Amino acid sequence: MAIFGVAILLILGGLYLSQVASFAITNRAIEDLISRRDQLKRQNEQLIGEIASFRTVPRLFERAVEIGFRPASNSDIDYILLEGYNPLREAAPSELTTRSEAGGAPLAYDETFSGWLERQFALLRDQFETFGK
Amino acid sequence: MAIFLILMAAYLVINLANFQFFPRSVRQELEKIGSSITNTTLRVPAERGLIFDRDGEPLAFNIVQYRLGVSPALVADADSLSSKVADILEIDAFDVYRKTVSENIWEFVAGPISAEQGQALAALDEISLGLEEIPKRFYPQGTLAAHVIGIVLDEGLVGSLGVEGAYNDTLAGRVIDLSVSNVPFDLPEDRPAEQRGQDIVLTLDRDIQFWVESELKAAVDEYRAFRGTAIVMNPRNGDVLALANYPTMDPNNFLDVEDPSLLENAAVQETYEPGSILQALTVASALESGTITPYWTYNDTGHLSVGGRDIWNRHFQSHGSTDAASILIRSLNAGAATISLQMGTEDFYSMMRAFGLGQPTGVGLFAEDPGELRIEGETNWNESHLGFNSFGQDMKATSMQLITAYAAIANDGVMRQPRIVRQVISEDGVEEARPTTVRRVLSAGTAASLRDMLIRVVREGAPGALIRGYTIAGKPGTAWISTAVGQEYGPHSSIVTFAGFFPAYDPEVVIFVKLDRPNEYYGYNVTPHVFKRIADRIAILLEIPNDEVRSRLEAAETDIVVAGS
Repeated sequence: MAIFGVAILLILGGLYLSQVASFAITNRAIEDLISRRDQLKRQNEQLIGEIASFRTVPRLFERAVEIGFRPASNSDIDYILLEGYNPLREAAPSELTTRSEAGGAPLAYDETFSGWLERQFALLRDQFETFGK
Repeated sequence: MAIFLILMAAYLVINLANFQFFPRSVRQELEKIGSSITNTTLRVPAERGLIFDRDGEPLAFNIVQYRLGVSPALVADADSLSSKVADILEIDAFDVYRKTVSENIWEFVAGPISAEQGQALAALDEISLGLEEIPKRFYPQGTLAAHVIGIVLDEGLVGSLGVEGAYNDTLAGRVIDLSVSNVPFDLPEDRPAEQRGQDIVLTLDRDIQFWVESELKAAVDEYRAFRGTAIVMNPRNGDVLALANYPTMDPNNFLDVEDPSLLENAAVQETYEPGSILQALTVASALESGTITPYWTYNDTGHLSVGGRDIWNRHFQSHGSTDAASILIRSLNAGAATISLQMGTEDFYSMMRAFGLGQPTGVGLFAEDPGELRIEGETNWNESHLGFNSFGQDMKATSMQLITAYAAIANDGVMRQPRIVRQVISEDGVEEARPTTVRRVLSAGTAASLRDMLIRVVREGAPGALIRGYTIAGKPGTAWISTAVGQEYGPHSSIVTFAGFFPAYDPEVVIFVKLDRPNEYYGYNVTPHVFKRIADRIAILLEIPNDEVRSRLEAAETDIVVAGS
């Protein structure tokens, strides 16, 4: 009876220890993953920083001069007028509208394929109607 | 005795029972005490939001640096460890060795050290070394737009100056207090979500900012000025496209700045007596209030006495019969004072207030100064102020206030709210800052009359500002600098300015330039040239067609309308 009792205790103890060990191993693995995630995130930020440093205007300007470019002057600019196209008219809308005025929804890419298809058909229809007139 | 023992036993049993079934508050208190023994509270700062220019180029973001420490008791081989650490950090190995054999429990070795060095040290997998992360704000563009962006103090937690300071609550996010178990590998079950700071997109254009800073620096050097400020604004929506002060500072190393005043954003924090650049606002106010018309004239004797003080024209010259446009072209102080006296205090000061003087513009930058505009009835105001204020003396304004006032003239008399923040981006979406109108300062007719006068000012009084192919409207200014004693002004130094916009008949930008104590006394000799250099570059960067192309486009438009009708 005593041996049986000891055996039960040993089994229960073994099970407990195995549970605790498994718990510790899993948590260790999670901690490693969190640490790896943070490290990758930091490396990513580091890379963004380096890229931004390479893309600064003085650096780009210096490089452009090195490879033979120079800043354009007013006399270098030629304007070509396209019939029916007025960039100034498009650049200066009569009313300043904002997204909050237009409904306040945040900017998000939420277009569906069917929506896109409908929009293309509508554009095509408008073009035909304009052509017909 | 027996009764006493029974009573004591009963008392103990009751208390024991009470102890077993505590009230909730007591239980919570005890749990808290228990938790404080087994847990440690860590303050986890939220990641600070990033700052971008209007095209999405990063201007400020976060990196991590490290602080290195060592536990000498855990060091197995001090020689080898100190030489490895010294190699990575490029410091003296003996210094590191001394710390690895110290008798202290913990020794600080180096910091802040870069992320690369930190990773190399972590790769040593040395149990005695401890690396502590230090959040650091990084400004990849260096000194570019330093005063607009601002700085961050307290190891990347608290923003100060510029947008970092003004929008600190938006950028900072929510700090969380995380309770961590002292038991190894016992992770918290419910980790509260960190609330990352929101990102900010500025109205600033990085390319324009670069050129404005370059030209401002060149001007300060060329004219040996003490310092300078330049601002570029879109008058149609109030967007600040560039804001530069020179000398400037590097926000990555702001602690190295020798002169603390370099940390100030002079464009909004420094007030000065604006001088004759203000004459345009006086003439506009008089036109708007009906005191004068564009055909109004007065007899200019070159001198006027107001409130016991003398006002003289430049070089003490008199010009006889003079119109309002000529007051601006020749920058006649006596003429401006004549107009303000005719207007009277009520009309004059209400118009100056309407132009935004004496109150902050609300552009969204840290610690904006409201300036100083004393009006009748206030302490230290006397009649002479009405005369001197008409040409921008005895009052104080910031560069931002002045460009905002000129932007209102350019925008057909409507003052737009100047703004530096275009969008705020959070996890919930993008919040667009709406261009808003402050007020209509002038009627469209008055604004047009003044625009025509300012075109003449440039053609006849400041031809240095002209750029080929474009009509320019603007006004140079010279401001006296008040001395420390009384209300007298120093005779040898001045602050010179130019505020102008182009294309004059459909303005896309307003440019303000200010140089403090250059080697030339009068503004018209200096600032129009600086304006021209900046405007020349902006015309290309913003692809602003010249007048000829504009008129051809308008003609084509008219043809289409005529053909259509």
